Amino acid sequence: MLAYYFDLALRSFRQHKTLAGLMMLAIALGIGTSVTMLAVLHNLSGNPMPGRSGLLFHPQVDPRPTDLSAASDEPPDDLTYIDAVNLYRMGAAPRRAVMSSNHLPTRADAPDSPLAMYTDRATTADFFAMFGVPFLYGSAWSAQDDANQARVVVLSRAMNQKLFGGENSVGRNLVIATKTFRVVGVIDEWNPQPRFYDINSGAFEQSEQMYLPFFTWLDLPQDYGYGPVNCWGNDPHAGEHNPKTPQCTWAQFWVELDTPAQVAGYRAALEQYSAQQRQLGRFQRAPNARLRGLIDWLDYKHVIPVTVRMQTWIAFGVLLICMVNTVGLMVAKFLRKSGEIGVRRALGASRRAVFVQCLVEAGVVGVAGGLLGLPLAWLGLWMVRQQPVSFAASAHFDPSMLGIALGLAVLSALLAGVWPALRASRVAPALQVKSL
Amino acid sequence: MRILRQIRPILSALRSHKTAVTLLMLEIALTMAVLGNLVFIVYGTMQRSHMATGVAESQIGWIQSIGVLGQDNPGTGAENIAVLRNAPGVLDAAYGSPPFVGKETNPIFPDAARSRPVAHAYVVQGSQHMSTTLGLRIVQGRDFNDGDLPDLMDVFMKKTDTPLPALMTQALAQRLYPDGKALERILYDGRYAYRVIGIIDHLRSEVTGRANDDDALLTEYRIGAQDLGGGYLIRSRPGQLPQALKAAAAALQKANPGHVENKVHTMAELRENYFKSDLAAGRMLVAIIAILLVVTALGVSGLASFWVQQRRRQIGMRRALGATRGDILNYFQAENFLIVSGGVLLGVFFAYALNLFLMHRFELAHLPAHYLLAGALALWLLGQLAVLGPALRAAAVPPAVATRSV
Repeated sequence: MLAYYFDLALRSFRQHKTLAGLMMLAIALGIGTSVTMLAVLHNLSGNPMPGRSGLLFHPQVDPRPTDLSAASDEPPDDLTYIDAVNLYRMGAAPRRAVMSSNHLPTRADAPDSPLAMYTDRATTADFFAMFGVPFLYGSAWSAQDDANQARVVVLSRAMNQKLFGGENSVGRNLVIATKTFRVVGVIDEWNPQPRFYDINSGAFEQSEQMYLPFFTWLDLPQDYGYGPVNCWGNDPHAGEHNPKTPQCTWAQFWVELDTPAQVAGYRAALEQYSAQQRQLGRFQRAPNARLRGLIDWLDYKHVIPVTVRMQTWIAFGVLLICMVNTVGLMVAKFLRKSGEIGVRRALGASRRAVFVQCLVEAGVVGVAGGLLGLPLAWLGLWMVRQQPVSFAASAHFDPSMLGIALGLAVLSALLAGVWPALRASRVAPALQVKSL
Repeated sequence: MRILRQIRPILSALRSHKTAVTLLMLEIALTMAVLGNLVFIVYGTMQRSHMATGVAESQIGWIQSIGVLGQDNPGTGAENIAVLRNAPGVLDAAYGSPPFVGKETNPIFPDAARSRPVAHAYVVQGSQHMSTTLGLRIVQGRDFNDGDLPDLMDVFMKKTDTPLPALMTQALAQRLYPDGKALERILYDGRYAYRVIGIIDHLRSEVTGRANDDDALLTEYRIGAQDLGGGYLIRSRPGQLPQALKAAAAALQKANPGHVENKVHTMAELRENYFKSDLAAGRMLVAIIAILLVVTALGVSGLASFWVQQRRRQIGMRRALGATRGDILNYFQAENFLIVSGGVLLGVFFAYALNLFLMHRFELAHLPAHYLLAGALALWLLGQLAVLGPALRAAAVPPAVATRSV
């Protein structure tokens, strides 16, 4: 029976080309718009560390005074210098990495190499293993290098290309902030989005050009900023030239915890650390620690840009308008078929059968609209990619969106069809047959 | 009068198509709600991107010359300013950064206790010649004197309650001192104290759309024999900025071989960069507006052509009874006008509801009424255009149709 209804739907399509075409176009435009934004949203809320996200945690402690006006109950995102050092030394996690970023004057150790500013991430040895960073040449530095403040550096593939023409540069030297560093590794393309480990300057920034041991970096002759520094109290710029300012947070800290027991243990250790710091008089607040998993952390930070969230709402508004439009056109279309429906009813078709037939017709419109909407969505994503914003580059058409687009198209067409179909199924057969 | 006489039969005809008419009105109302708010957002962004900062933007360039700690460098701050001022086409130069570059507000306190801020303002600091390089317009009081300025080394990274001379924007002066007596007042930020020596008309460090964009204090210090890396500003002769900036950047690099010249930009480039993501989002919204208008036009003309077909016989009868082609055309146009008007009335409520939602969720401002008027005009026009095709087809129905298949 359904096959027959499909046949009828296609016939009616051919018969009323204009109305059918208009409905199809309306659905296609609505689907194109909303699926474009859904794809953007889907790209932006993807898991940056598939397979490892469940093991990565972001500890926070609260060193703020109790009498801060208008302060939220949530502890600061980053750590102060003292807490960064203490938590790094605390252990209690199989792997941990403390980090921040800035840019440093750098050149290759050759007389003709020009000095230029390069972005760097200062971190500790576990960073690479924790975040699954792939190496092209060499390897990460060791915990011993961290402890010794060794002058070693890991380069990104792009920077290795720029300074050393892409060859294996392990063992070569760089002059960074006037000190000589030895290259120990070159990593392959690696740019997790959102850049979960540091979202202070936006969640969709690129990864840095080079990596230095954190404590070596802190001791460099430098005043190039220490990443976004947040200070409480009345002077927001207190930490500008001194990262050790006690009221300023700026260091990111991540730990890897492999079992639930380790997570519970680490949580307890954070509480204990907070209590101990309070006893020492450094912390004023009762222990107020957090240990969010990677995905929780991204949720908590609302990494999806406001403009994208707003555009998504608006795109679905457009889809709604397209649906209202389709309802109107469908009422008209089914009304025009009243005679036909009257005959079917008079020949014994039940209301239900007429209803199903009309819905099938709506579904066919949906499929057609969805198929036409796909290239529109593809065009929309191309438009998004042309935007000069950091998250735009990652907007692409995921195969999973194909199914979503078609599903959404059929669903909206069916929803738009329900009421017109219901009306059509109420057509009084006698009245229609009489006027034939 | 003729029109009025026409309206009654239209209304009674529409009464027998309640469903379709309601749906069309609903669609127009929803379109109007989304359209009004989107145009408001896009227009607001465009307006913001043209908002003047109060500095002589077309003549200002910025050179970020980063000093390398631990590296010998012969240039000094005072010499650098002289080098820049001697570059061809350069009128003035200073150490400091222009609007749009790394600006944050500071809490401003009325007393040295610094407990309760009375404003959050941009505190702009620069070397001697900063205010003249920016081309600020002083409306009350005076500009800095050479004798006023504290030495950089006396204020750098130090907290002091000795007031530094400062210029204040009119907007901040009105906010803090509604009595109009801002001159010679003392106020504090987290680190310094300031004495207001003059009022400038505008200095917007950022253009966010917030009320305190134009709240600013500008203070100058004297730079001398220190090797000073960071941002340098030049002001060129009118119309000569590109060449002057290039020459100035080259001269500054030559005088400071130990510095890294990281960025060299005109104010126009800084402005473009500052607004590029907002404007890109605006372009997306314009695309959505276009889609919306197309969809609504499709809906209107689709239903209209359906009605025309359905009423072919009645149209033929009217024509046979003496109605002119113009009468038929007018009928469908008037019908469309009535439906769109109904949609527009409903749309006013929808638009305000959507605006409330956007205000609540995305900090959008209150939707001014004239956007609704513009939206209504746009929809009336769109409706007339969309109905024109079907209405012309209706007008072309020959009277003979009435005699067929009766």
